[in-house]
Amino acid sequence: MSTDVVAIHHVSKIFDGGDNRVVALDNVSLTIAKGEMVGIMGPSGSGKSTLMTIIGLLDVPTSGTYLLDGIETSGLDRTAQAGVRNQKLGFIFQNFNLLPRLTALQNVALPMVYARVGMGEREARAKAALEAVGLGNRLNNRPNELSGGQKQRVAIARALVNNPAILLADEPTGALDSRTGHEIMALFRQLNREQGITVVVVTHDAEVGKQMDRIVSLRDGQLNMDALHEYYGINTDALGRVVTEVPHVG
Amino acid sequence: MWGEQLRMAWQSLRANTFRSLLTMLGIIIGSSTLVSVLSLGNALQGQVFERFIDLGTRRVAILPGDPDANGARVSSGYGLLSIKDFNALDKMVTTHPDIFRTIVPEVAIKVRARSGTVEVDSLVVGTGADYQKVQSVPLEAGRFFTLEEELDSDRVAVLGSLVTEDLFGKGVENRAKAVGQTIIINGQSIKILGVIKGAGGPFSSDQRILVPSGTARLRIAGNQDLPGRGLKMSSILLGLRTEGVVTKAEALITATLRDARNVPVGAIDDFKINSPTQALGILNGINSAITGFIAVVAGISLVVGGIGIMNIMLVAVTERTREIGVRKALGATDRDVLGQFVIEAATISLIGSFIGIGFAVALVLGIASAAGLGMILSIPAVIISLIFALGIGIGFGYYPAKRAALLLPIEALRYE
Ligand SMILES: Nc1ncnc2c1ncn2[C@@H]1O[C@H](COP(=O)(O)OP(=O)(O)OP(=O)(O)O)[C@@H](O)[C@H]1O
Ligand SMILES: [Mg+2]
Repeated sequence: MSTDVVAIHHVSKIFDGGDNRVVALDNVSLTIAKGEMVGIMGPSGSGKSTLMTIIGLLDVPTSGTYLLDGIETSGLDRTAQAGVRNQKLGFIFQNFNLLPRLTALQNVALPMVYARVGMGEREARAKAALEAVGLGNRLNNRPNELSGGQKQRVAIARALVNNPAILLADEPTGALDSRTGHEIMALFRQLNREQGITVVVVTHDAEVGKQMDRIVSLRDGQLNMDALHEYYGINTDALGRVVTEVPHVG
Repeated sequence: MWGEQLRMAWQSLRANTFRSLLTMLGIIIGSSTLVSVLSLGNALQGQVFERFIDLGTRRVAILPGDPDANGARVSSGYGLLSIKDFNALDKMVTTHPDIFRTIVPEVAIKVRARSGTVEVDSLVVGTGADYQKVQSVPLEAGRFFTLEEELDSDRVAVLGSLVTEDLFGKGVENRAKAVGQTIIINGQSIKILGVIKGAGGPFSSDQRILVPSGTARLRIAGNQDLPGRGLKMSSILLGLRTEGVVTKAEALITATLRDARNVPVGAIDDFKINSPTQALGILNGINSAITGFIAVVAGISLVVGGIGIMNIMLVAVTERTREIGVRKALGATDRDVLGQFVIEAATISLIGSFIGIGFAVALVLGIASAAGLGMILSIPAVIISLIFALGIGIGFGYYPAKRAALLLPIEALRYE
């Protein structure tokens, strides 16, 4: 299974806030192969974001094991985790999370600052990344001078700039109108096809979900494929691959 | 990375210019106070020092003992300095050329001096030709008496500027014309050899008439010598080789004089030794105390400024929790975040210090040029205040920065 970028085994995440104990993830096991484009779907509160933060090393599971690109993550200290986030992971958030005081170019260059890339190379690569997402003419604008779709493109350029193994996007189109959302999803698909980047997308949008190679469905913190049809009307095979709807026999 | 963090700090200060300036206020006040007070204090100290070197720091004066002092023995002429004492000291001076340069007596006699029909009250001081080596008596006209004239007890004198003016009229010309004239003191005709430049102040020689000690003792005072002890001397001055031998010299003088004066073991000294270094020490002590006190106040102001910085940094960390989360998601380590906020705090503090030093420099140079003091800005004070400000920035910035560094990425990102 050396091609698995993500290998999660029996992972649970429990938030223990005194009297209200929330089991956000309940014994979830899941693998994602290199180059896959995977959707994570499920009703609100089902644990999608929690699963993403664990895959993204932003949080640690309460129990279970997680191998990221072959690395056993429970053995990493905080500095090593930061290094892995910097080198192997690219995050895209629903609310973009660009730093407001920095220009598009500076925002995109930020991961390279933490990778100790020199100033000249940083600028060149950040510029190339922005050009790749179609923002070559917006290098020196600050986030408040950009549209939602442009902001998300800046965020994508920033996520890609250190050539990560996985792109993690939590509802990347949630704050965008549907046309812009489609453009963003097309960009993901293009990156996945052309550069072989593994993409994991959390989405509520059935249309978005149908474009995925495979869908992982969550309900109450557990893997549950039945929920997919129930909530989104999407049918999948046993492996979670989207199958075109079979017309009802009249 | 450092350059990057400095740039980040600069950006974040610029984003809140007014708030940053307010935060710097304590540091600005502290730094400017520190630099101006230390500079002016130093200058004052230098002035005091120069004054005393003028009067001769390399000099010890022996004065008569106080007969009313606690422990003084009851005996006639107690404490008075005699020729015998002078001779004993003179011998000591010749045997310790490494410590003493010279010895001169001061025999003071109140007199009325007359020139033609003009008469004035004055003080004749009988002394040695070496007097110039232990007292600041620069001449404005004529010359001092020589060793030969001293030994011959010649009828010659050097006049203070005020005495000269009283006798011969005001002004440089009148004073210069006095040289070569003769005055009458106690019936003796005495030739004026020179006139001392006016110095002002109660300790100057402006009102005095300096003559050879023999002249004073034998010709002017007549036979007022005390039985067995000779004429009383108002003081004996000893010139020292360096300031460093003052303590040694005092010990030698004490031993010599106690022996010469037969002071019993256990009895108190029946003479006094005055070294200007003592007075200098006291003055410098007072100056240092005042300077030190204000410097401490300035230091406190810097510390208060540091607390202001800590406060604003804690606010900044809270305000920028999300930013910290984003940076961590992008790969910032705890140390990166710690460094960013510490450098930001240190930058605030250093810029504040620079501004404060700027004010201080303007103030100090202004005072210096107004008072004609020359270059008195204390560079060490500038360096101290910069180092202090840097230390305070780092010290008080550390705790907020540590809080930022220890934030969990997911919690920082989720922070509303
Ligand atoms: N830090 C936390 N403390 C306590 N409970 C939490 C915390 N984070 C998440 N939860 C809980 O865990 C559960 C799963 O949350 P999660 O954010 O993963 O849901 P989600 O599937 O992303 O939902 P949505 O579609 O609304 O974004 C929820 O019940 C949520 O309240
Ligand atoms: Mg969510």
